[in-house]
Amino acid sequence: MTANQSSNANEGPTVKHRHRVEGPEKHIVVFIFSIVLTAIAFAAVAAGGINTAFTIIILLVMAVLQVFVQMGYWMHLKDKGHLMPILFMIGGFFVASTCIVMALFWVWW
Amino acid sequence: MSHAEHVNGELPHEPEKATLEGRNKVLGFWLFLGGEAVLFGTLFATFLALRGQNNEGPTASELFSLPITAAATLILLVSSLTSVFAIQALHRHNIEKLKLWLIVTVALGLGFLGLEIYEFYEYIVHESFNMKTSAFSSAFYTLVGFHGAHVAFGVVWISLLIAQLYRKGLTVVTAPKVYVSAMYWHFIDVVWVFIFSVVYLLGKVG
Amino acid sequence: MAHAHAHSHSVKRYTGIMDWLTTVDHKKIGILYLIAGGFFFGIGGIEAILIRLQLIKPMNDLVSAQVFNELITMHGTTMIFLGVMPVIFALMNAVIPLQIGARDVAFPFLNSLGFWTFLFGGLLLNLSWIMGGAPDAGWTSYPPLSSTDYSPTHGVDFYTIGLQIAGLGTLIGGINFLATIITMRAPGMSFMRMPMFTWTAFITSAMILFAFPAITVGLVLLSFDRLLGANFFDVAGGGNPVLWQHIFWIFGHPEVYILILPAFGIISEVIPTFSRKRLFGYSSMVFATILIAFLGFMVWAHHMFTTGLGPVANALFSIATMLIAVPTGIKIFNWLFTMWGGQIRFTSANLFAIGFVPTFVMGGVTGVMLASAPADFQFHDTYFVVAHFHYVIVGGLVFGLFSGLHYWWPKMFGRVLNETLGKWTFWLFAIGFHMTFFVQHFLGLLGMQRRIVSYLPNQNFDELNFISTIGAILMGIGVLAFLANVVATSRKPVGAAADPWEDGRTLEWSIPSPPPEYNFKQIPLVRGIDAYWKEKMAGNKEMTPSEPVGPIHMPSPSILPFVMSLGLFIAGLGFMFSTEDFSNSFMSLIFNKYIVLIVGLLITFAAMIARSLYDDHGYHIEVEELEGEGKA
Repeated sequence: MTANQSSNANEGPTVKHRHRVEGPEKHIVVFIFSIVLTAIAFAAVAAGGINTAFTIIILLVMAVLQVFVQMGYWMHLKDKGHLMPILFMIGGFFVASTCIVMALFWVWW
Repeated sequence: MSHAEHVNGELPHEPEKATLEGRNKVLGFWLFLGGEAVLFGTLFATFLALRGQNNEGPTASELFSLPITAAATLILLVSSLTSVFAIQALHRHNIEKLKLWLIVTVALGLGFLGLEIYEFYEYIVHESFNMKTSAFSSAFYTLVGFHGAHVAFGVVWISLLIAQLYRKGLTVVTAPKVYVSAMYWHFIDVVWVFIFSVVYLLGKVG
Repeated sequence: MAHAHAHSHSVKRYTGIMDWLTTVDHKKIGILYLIAGGFFFGIGGIEAILIRLQLIKPMNDLVSAQVFNELITMHGTTMIFLGVMPVIFALMNAVIPLQIGARDVAFPFLNSLGFWTFLFGGLLLNLSWIMGGAPDAGWTSYPPLSSTDYSPTHGVDFYTIGLQIAGLGTLIGGINFLATIITMRAPGMSFMRMPMFTWTAFITSAMILFAFPAITVGLVLLSFDRLLGANFFDVAGGGNPVLWQHIFWIFGHPEVYILILPAFGIISEVIPTFSRKRLFGYSSMVFATILIAFLGFMVWAHHMFTTGLGPVANALFSIATMLIAVPTGIKIFNWLFTMWGGQIRFTSANLFAIGFVPTFVMGGVTGVMLASAPADFQFHDTYFVVAHFHYVIVGGLVFGLFSGLHYWWPKMFGRVLNETLGKWTFWLFAIGFHMTFFVQHFLGLLGMQRRIVSYLPNQNFDELNFISTIGAILMGIGVLAFLANVVATSRKPVGAAADPWEDGRTLEWSIPSPPPEYNFKQIPLVRGIDAYWKEKMAGNKEMTPSEPVGPIHMPSPSILPFVMSLGLFIAGLGFMFSTEDFSNSFMSLIFNKYIVLIVGLLITFAAMIARSLYDDHGYHIEVEELEGEGKA
């Protein structure tokens, strides 16, 4: 019925799965990766003594990396047929980041 | 055509229509998450603007305790992994494992909520840090509370889905619901990544 | 599976009022949006005329200053959120599924939910008139004016909570249309073959999705400040009122593009039809729409030039704002070139569309003037700004809506509106509009501030204000002419042709007026842009079907959306009055202990749970039934 196959998410048992269902290994790797990133962030703060600006950069990089990996693998955004979800998540994050810029630069002066 | 027919034990007359509804649901939920990103983005912006305004009340670094935050983070991260396992079980049509992993996810969600309630209770009763204390306190409770409310909603939602899986089994109707709830749960975890980084860790840094 | 169930279940089909309360049919929901939006538009219009009557002469005392503040606040709030937004949704519901060749929207149930939450939110907001005073802090509700210190009545609580509920409905509607347009297009209708109105509806829905969550948060923060004693905008507690201005305009500026883009879409349908030419520069129209939407999120602080953000921010937002004139100019020229050399017919719909073009250009030009930060220090908070935004919202959007209503009325109701009355509507409204607002530019330049209840004589304000008020009354008469047209037309029998304008280009004109509940007996095959026109030019009377005739699956009607919205309404009232000092002990028990709030939320959640637990199998319209209804 739909003309645009590429825009549709093709998860769930409703769609033909030719390929074997993937194993848990990949997701455990993502999990361990997330744990490591989290640990680095906590360690950077718990250790103290590191330059504040540098700590903030570490925190942000760790958070963004973790979110990237989790959305890609656990929410399947890296899979085919996710053009529209990716576009709309980018849109959401874009507007969210304009809000952050506003809060950091244009509320107090 | 689909695996669902094996689960159902009957062939759908219009599998492509059932498919369209399911696909619409997943797509519509993605769109909703795009909106949620802006919702939390605005809450984070508010928090970032006001996080230094403690109004002679407790400051972030006086208040927060890293071990509790770390425990909450670990719980939520593991629950995100268990809901991945649930979806893998769903793809294999292994309904028993699906229910099991969902139950584990709900239990972990409850654990997270318990920790958060304990934390808020400590702040309010022992630190006299409540909604009215300062702009920082208002922003803190609103941002973290919104996230907590999302977790609570997810716990109730997934519990209802578990009940439905017991009653109806895995069908082309229940499967998209479970899938969508897992997306929601991952998104909550993603938001938490920013909360522990921006609210708690950054609060400790000062 | 659904098929098998549909035979075993006989689905309840309601009639009369229950039919309207339970309908999930997008065409009926469109009519509901039109009625409700028209109702609120009428209330907002009466408020506007009262404002103008108060300002007809210097030192007038028709209304008190407090009532005047309530009138201007409710006029702006009602018109934007409850008047024009629902009429946009009315047209989107009535037309979009037909234009893309779909039998339904992606989420019929959510569509109904979106309508009822909007309606209950709007009713809650307007209840303020009879429950202790309407909101009085302006439609922007800037703190500290909107704080409990300066707005001690519940007026602003009605604003925060009423808009919260209504905004939820809008957000739901936006998601529904996004999903519908992404997944439900007929075979062959690629994105670049979509009619322009569908495109603008798509982009508008995307903007709703990204803008409304911001105001959701803003309203939460403001209601927490007022009802829970939070300190977001309270300077004494460490808060900052500028934060509200930012959040409000991060939503508020995209909101005005949310409003105007569908009007652009309507004009882009009407002008080609009545010029018998295809739209000039289709792909540049699409590109311009997307660019306007993108820039619309980057310019919010031009509402705050005088706040003191500093020269860097002001310069940035000034330039970004001026950039928007480029894609908008592209659109204006495209419409002109569409008319160029066309066989133009001056129907009522086309009069409004053609009238839109110069009117909107005037609003756009004053927009560029306001975008210049230094000049804005002079214009800010004067009637120049009032004139500017009424030129784009009334001269742009409302002209567009009238055009769309005249154009699609036969498709919605099966009856063509009376052309004579339609032309009266246009001339009365257009002349009244320019009389009202053109002079306001000069009032502003002469220094008359907006939002003032009265003014002293002999400041050169007197005659201009008088002209403005007469113009407002003319606009009111124009709207009455439209209502008379609606009443007169509704007495005529249903008998409009499928393609009453004879030059219809898009798919909605290939099916009967009004369409059957399933829209298309067979989903059409789309072979190009302006699909129906293309078939007509190829000598075909109908669209080529893309599927054989088969049973059509329909969703069941449901009362649950109504119940969910009612629950939110009750919860909203409960939250709002939770801090009230009641003399009655029962009232203070149920409100101050949050019992009403909890009961309302329980009603909503119970309805949500019921929706989740009981599967909607829908029902089928069988082939015999389809054939029985004749040609579709």
